[in-house]
Amino acid sequence: MTPDTTRRYNIAGGIITIITVIAALIWAFPIYWGIVSSFKLEDEVVRPYIELWPENPTLRHYWFALTQTQIGSWYLNSVVTALGVTVLTVSTSLLAGYALSQLRFPGRRPLWWLILASFMVPTQVLIINHFVLIANMGLLNTWAGIILPQLIHPVVIIVYKQFFDQVPREFREAAVMDNASEFRILTKVYIPMNWGVTTALSIVTFIWAWNAFLWPFLAVTRTEMMTITVGITQVSDAFGVYYARQLASAVLAGFPVALAYLLFQRRVTQAITLSAGIKG
Amino acid sequence: MIRNTKNDTLIAYVLIAPFLVIYGLIFVYPTINMFILSFQDAPLISFGPQSAEWTGLDNYTRLPDDRRFGTAFWNTAYFVLLTVIPGTLVALAIALGITRLSGRIQSLVLALFFLPYILPVSVVYRIWDWTLNFQFGIAMHLFDALGIDRIPIFKTSTWFMPAVAFVTIWWTCGFSILLFLAGLRAIPVEFYEAAELDNAGRWTVFRKLTWPLLWPVTALVLTIQLILQLKIFDQVYLFTTGGRPNDNLVMVYYIYQRAFQNDDGGRAAAIAVVLFVMVIVVSVLNFQLLRLAERKT
Amino acid sequence: MAEIALENVSKSFGAVEVIKDISLQVGQGEFVVFLGPSGSGKSTLLRMIAGLETIDRGKLLIGGKECQNLVPGKRNVAMVFQNYALYPHMTVRDNMAFGLRNVGMKEADIAARVEDAGRILEMDALLDRRPSQLSGGQRQRVAIGRAIVKEPAAFLFDEPLSNLDAALRVRTRVELAQLHQRIAATMIYVTHDQTEAMTLADRIVILNDCRIEQIGTPMEVYTYPASRFVAGFVGNPGMNFLDADVSTSGKEASATLGDGSRVAMTISIPDDGAYELGIRPEAVHVTTGEGDTKGEATVVEHLGDRTLVYTRLGDGTSVIALDDGRSQVAPGDVVTLRFDTSQLHLFDSAGRAYHAD
Repeated sequence: MTPDTTRRYNIAGGIITIITVIAALIWAFPIYWGIVSSFKLEDEVVRPYIELWPENPTLRHYWFALTQTQIGSWYLNSVVTALGVTVLTVSTSLLAGYALSQLRFPGRRPLWWLILASFMVPTQVLIINHFVLIANMGLLNTWAGIILPQLIHPVVIIVYKQFFDQVPREFREAAVMDNASEFRILTKVYIPMNWGVTTALSIVTFIWAWNAFLWPFLAVTRTEMMTITVGITQVSDAFGVYYARQLASAVLAGFPVALAYLLFQRRVTQAITLSAGIKG
Repeated sequence: MIRNTKNDTLIAYVLIAPFLVIYGLIFVYPTINMFILSFQDAPLISFGPQSAEWTGLDNYTRLPDDRRFGTAFWNTAYFVLLTVIPGTLVALAIALGITRLSGRIQSLVLALFFLPYILPVSVVYRIWDWTLNFQFGIAMHLFDALGIDRIPIFKTSTWFMPAVAFVTIWWTCGFSILLFLAGLRAIPVEFYEAAELDNAGRWTVFRKLTWPLLWPVTALVLTIQLILQLKIFDQVYLFTTGGRPNDNLVMVYYIYQRAFQNDDGGRAAAIAVVLFVMVIVVSVLNFQLLRLAERKT
Repeated sequence: MAEIALENVSKSFGAVEVIKDISLQVGQGEFVVFLGPSGSGKSTLLRMIAGLETIDRGKLLIGGKECQNLVPGKRNVAMVFQNYALYPHMTVRDNMAFGLRNVGMKEADIAARVEDAGRILEMDALLDRRPSQLSGGQRQRVAIGRAIVKEPAAFLFDEPLSNLDAALRVRTRVELAQLHQRIAATMIYVTHDQTEAMTLADRIVILNDCRIEQIGTPMEVYTYPASRFVAGFVGNPGMNFLDADVSTSGKEASATLGDGSRVAMTISIPDDGAYELGIRPEAVHVTTGEGDTKGEATVVEHLGDRTLVYTRLGDGTSVIALDDGRSQVAPGDVVTLRFDTSQLHLFDSAGRAYHAD
């Protein structure tokens, strides 16, 4: 290759790089715009020209959302239900995934079929019967009622099974020779050896549960029991057509998951790729 | 290994018991009930055996003449068309751009593209409702600059589905980008070095090397997107509030409407069964196609 | 009394028999090596003793107690795995203590045993590290330490050196030999490496095709191989094999080789006829005087202290001869070969061995 063509090659590559970076900035701009607008005064927001930075940055919309609306209860509801979904999903999946991976027992195959079936069935089609079930149990407008139908995450079991399958069998054999009971093999060997995947799965399950819309929207009719994702869209009269206020409430709703992602970026991306069946 | 098989079985059952109880209650039982309900005329709010009446296939036979069902079905199909392939191509292009970068810049750019994916749908709704706002939306400045007349996008039937599709691609693209990046990383760098020694141009490298080697991932992304978009509800519901829901119906929305607004559990269940079958058929077909594709490579 | 005894032990995986009727006794404090090619059943046999594989038929006695139906933890044996299987999330100390905690031993006793093992293996300073912070050789020692703390009736090693590089392997081999002398414990060791077997073993058990070919001390196995297989498997470079037609009168035998030359020896065989004549390279001398046959040198390997001369006899048979380090032989030379007839072996068509006096 002559020096000339090498340079041309690099210039083309450089242009692609620049385009990618600019595209990324444009891509994320609406988020930036939403955040910036939430710090503007209501009459600045509706100015007919573009201001990329608020003239008089203000926290008043946040103050309003936090004091004049039920956003505090919604936060609590979201935190409790998302944590509930996470803990229940991850723990039950971990135990079932371990049994599937490491133990031989009658019914193992049908269990596997059940998991694959639940993988195929869209939970959206079950909303009617979930509603009937939860209503009959008297759990509408309760945390338990919000949590229960969200516990179908077969992918968590499948990922756990894969990871347990990958533990070299010598670890199990060494533990067996060391007189370890099944319970100790699970808690002292298999779980600690897979903390990474547990963390990753917990974070994404939390994000999924925090972001859930359809079911929490159906399960709750009383405003004080809403999760924040539902609440900020349902009680618009509480905000009126104050755009900045609406955006401030949206920022508050998105903040915890955005933070979780930014803190655990590597774990989140790992879990997402794993959930699609690709080794991260 | 010498195992105590009885003991093993007992432990296994203890370990899977919580999972089985939950799945039995919220997966198996509701799924069976959905089928039963779809053959009944049953109000949802006062649901009970006394108020349900068996109507045979009535709930199904009424579907072909149901105008709202037709709208929902075709809108869903339209939405799938608007999102699946375009969304996959956009994700691929972005992934190809990101994979060239390295270090801090790469993770920063990836984070910018990925961030929308982890936001709740209601936040996405607020952001775009604001960005595309008829009066004050910043996107309208773009319309003005391009000399296009401003339009109330989410209030206009022709614009509604494409706009929701656009927002959906923006929202969910991050997921596909991650899969493509993982796929691109799995291609051994030696292939590219060999191609460079063979004087292959950028386009040739992509067509003859990257694209075929990435095809399994592409097929996977298409499958996941397809099944995901068939189940669309949240965005349509949110953007259509205050607009014209009956024009913008999609399958899940119609299930919701029939069940919770018309209090007609039976007919809603029949629609749910139809969607259920659609998703299963698509999944199975896709699965077979993927297997076929794998065998070819 | 034998510490470990196998009596007519067999095992199958489905229709495939992987261990065929094996009986074996291992004495208290003895170091026994299972040597064989891959697929010979040596690892399976070890895992059967450990309890990681079931024993379909026959008995296993450890310390006089029948163990074939006990779970691995109850057999009072410890195993060192090929990849060590050290728990990555535990310190060295916790790795060693794990087995003791499982049986509910007092923490003070555990600490004492771990400290002891650390001293024996000279790794006191490493006790609070994680396996990932250790070198390959150190991990190996931790794996042994994990076995030592259990004070088992026997140590089982499954190819423990095969993950180490060549230099470290030699050093660790020496350390293992010293360890055995120091703690005088019963050890069973599986390997496919004959140098390890020769250097470490009190007795070698040679396995082939799921059964025992020979049990003996290293020198017995080397000098008096019980079969054609053992003769070919042990020794590097391997024994030379030549087709021979043998006729006897009393104990005096005469073998006619393929190139027509005759070799005389003293040996007792049941019948005259076709045999394979076996002779190790060190018993084949390059000589300028009287010889048994002649060959053309094809390759000459100078190893410094000795020289391997690869020759081809008149009929095309290959024979390797050992010459001294300053051998003058060059490829293409025709050399006279003299056989040390006291080190000859004959193998009949069934592979049975007869040794010359």
